[in-house]
Amino acid sequence: MRASLPRKPLVSLLQPYLLIAPTLILVLMFNVVPAVKTVTDSLHKPARGLNAAGKPSEYVGLQNFDDLFDEEHYMGARFLRTFRNTIVFALATVAIGVPLGLLLALLLNHSQPLLGLWRFAVFYPSLLPLIGAASIWSFIFSDSIGLANAVLKSLGHPGLNWLGDRNLVLLSVIIVNIWKQAGYFMIFFLAGLQNIPRDIYESASLDGASDLQQFAALTLPLLRRTLLFVIVISFIFAFQTVEQLQALGEGGPNDSANLLLYLIFQNISERRNWGYVNAMTIVLIGVVLTFTISNFLFFERDENN
Amino acid sequence: MSRLYKTLVLFALLALFVPSAVLAQDDTVIDFYFPSATANDAEGIFQRYADTFQERNPGITVNPVFTGSYTDTRNTILTELQGGGAGPDVAVMLSIDLYSFAEEGYIIPAQGFIDAMADGDAYINDFFPALMANGVDEEGNVWSIPFQRSTPILYYNADLLAEAGYDSPPINNAELVEIAQALTTNDRAGLLVPVAGGFPIWMYQSFAIAYGRNIVSDDPTEVYFNSPEAVAAVEFVRSLGTDLGVGPAGGAAWGDTPVAFLAGQAAMIYHTTGNLSRILDGADFEVGVWYLPSGPAGEDSTGYGSPTGGGNLYIFDDGSKSEAELEAIWKWVLFLSSPEIQADWGATTGYIASNAAAWETEPLASRALAYPQYGVARDQLQFADKEFSSYATITIQGIINKTLESILTGESEDAQAAMDAAQGQIDGILAEYK
Repeated sequence: MRASLPRKPLVSLLQPYLLIAPTLILVLMFNVVPAVKTVTDSLHKPARGLNAAGKPSEYVGLQNFDDLFDEEHYMGARFLRTFRNTIVFALATVAIGVPLGLLLALLLNHSQPLLGLWRFAVFYPSLLPLIGAASIWSFIFSDSIGLANAVLKSLGHPGLNWLGDRNLVLLSVIIVNIWKQAGYFMIFFLAGLQNIPRDIYESASLDGASDLQQFAALTLPLLRRTLLFVIVISFIFAFQTVEQLQALGEGGPNDSANLLLYLIFQNISERRNWGYVNAMTIVLIGVVLTFTISNFLFFERDENN
Repeated sequence: MSRLYKTLVLFALLALFVPSAVLAQDDTVIDFYFPSATANDAEGIFQRYADTFQERNPGITVNPVFTGSYTDTRNTILTELQGGGAGPDVAVMLSIDLYSFAEEGYIIPAQGFIDAMADGDAYINDFFPALMANGVDEEGNVWSIPFQRSTPILYYNADLLAEAGYDSPPINNAELVEIAQALTTNDRAGLLVPVAGGFPIWMYQSFAIAYGRNIVSDDPTEVYFNSPEAVAAVEFVRSLGTDLGVGPAGGAAWGDTPVAFLAGQAAMIYHTTGNLSRILDGADFEVGVWYLPSGPAGEDSTGYGSPTGGGNLYIFDDGSKSEAELEAIWKWVLFLSSPEIQADWGATTGYIASNAAAWETEPLASRALAYPQYGVARDQLQFADKEFSSYATITIQGIINKTLESILTGESEDAQAAMDAAQGQIDGILAEYK
């Protein structure tokens, strides 16, 4: 044992690195290397033409990004339209889905008959596999045999082409997304609500605060961290939407309901578009990062004041 | 505890030996990927073909793999190969996928195998010429072999037509519109053309050809999407759902169309011959089938025409496969394209058996005798033309589909302007190949 003592400093020097090595290698392989490759590939155009597989790609600087923001370019036209859709989709999901989740949580935070059943009923859409849930909705939205139109027709309306009308498809996808996520958000709000001590409400009531005042002055501020978290994940989820689109009209006529990540997926198969695919990925990550960081900064600063 | 341990060891040993036992037979294994675009039991049928083939060819094992839709199949194969995987040995892919895969260097021409055959010319000349158009490059080399081919065709509810006093189907656009309008009611469409839902190009091509000019030629660097004929064709399709009011605005969805026809909610439909068997078996009325009506292109039959469609057999090799493997692969391709299998496949599905001899082979021969509708699909091939295919097929097809969608849904009112813009983008891409 004594003989090995002088070596100990080296071992203890290496030990932490050895311990984190498995994680580090995985992070390098699956995060860092692909991220770097995405950046470099976004600055290149792949070889095009015959027998392109063996040829090197060409460095083009920011040309891919220029093309993406060019309405006349074949990829730019699709990208810009899809980008706008994604913003609308994300804002709608956050603006409707998050308050709805909060409302459901407030309603289901009181003891009432069949509470567990109500909570389950609201939460179960989040348990369904996304593609299965979206397939169910594609039947509901079907033109001729769908439930949605059957209801409309019973009310005397001729019915809507939910997945075929370019002005409706995005709305249909938003409806499905909110239905899918509101119950999930509710769980976070419920957890947040249960962390708020009851006695502060009691003293507020004694002071004569109305329910609405209690909500505005107590519940909302105390839920701020939960709210931040839910807004951030719902925004990120919105940018990661793919599966629903596969079942709900594949982005709609002329991309009228297409979203960014699905557009990326649609263009992976042809080599010539790889530069654009990587450039779009960077834009997507950029938007999500900017939103997330600014959100944290905003809320954290508020907290510190 | 020790029993459990022994069992585990036994399993571990078995696991070691099983693969080597399989390998010890020294079989040549052919991985065969196939899609399905119609509601048939493709998996069961291909397993049956594989079993028959293996019985006749000891030492070769065929491993049929169902890979989803055509798009799924293409993406699966591209993902595997681009990631350095083995991919399939033989696959059924769209006949128009030729340039996408040839550009990448993933497939090899069938021409070499045909040249090496004693009766290669007889083999290849037995295929219907229209079905070869998409499998041959501009120098005349055969790359892929027709397998499950189809064309759009006119299906009509003969009972409804007879009730309205029409005893024969429409043969040109004027008659088509007249009959469609006569048969349109509040809960029945006179004519459904499935151009809604992401892939209008194929049906649209039928109309472009009927108007006198296809949007492609033999030259994979040329596309004619803004010609007067091309514009008139899309305006006609759009008018079916607007001014003429014989179907839904924007067109019908692909999958809903045969369902509506069988339910009596549509008097006439344009659809693929790939659904012929399903429609004939499912209808409780007399199903009529006829050539797609001619446009205004000419008198009588001069404007007939349809694009071909469907899948071909492709051979994958990056140069690493041995003579024996390639020989086995070609045997499998020959087997699937033989009159025997083509007759069986055609009778089971309604896909057009792709060689003439298949039509004199059972079970197709008697099926075609009992149902003359099968022969109509075959005979329309004499007017059929090439399906859309060019260099950068996927991207250019995407541009055309998006443009057609925007015109058909009314987003782009000025069809000519939208198609001029698309043609500009297409020419820009194809310039890289000239």
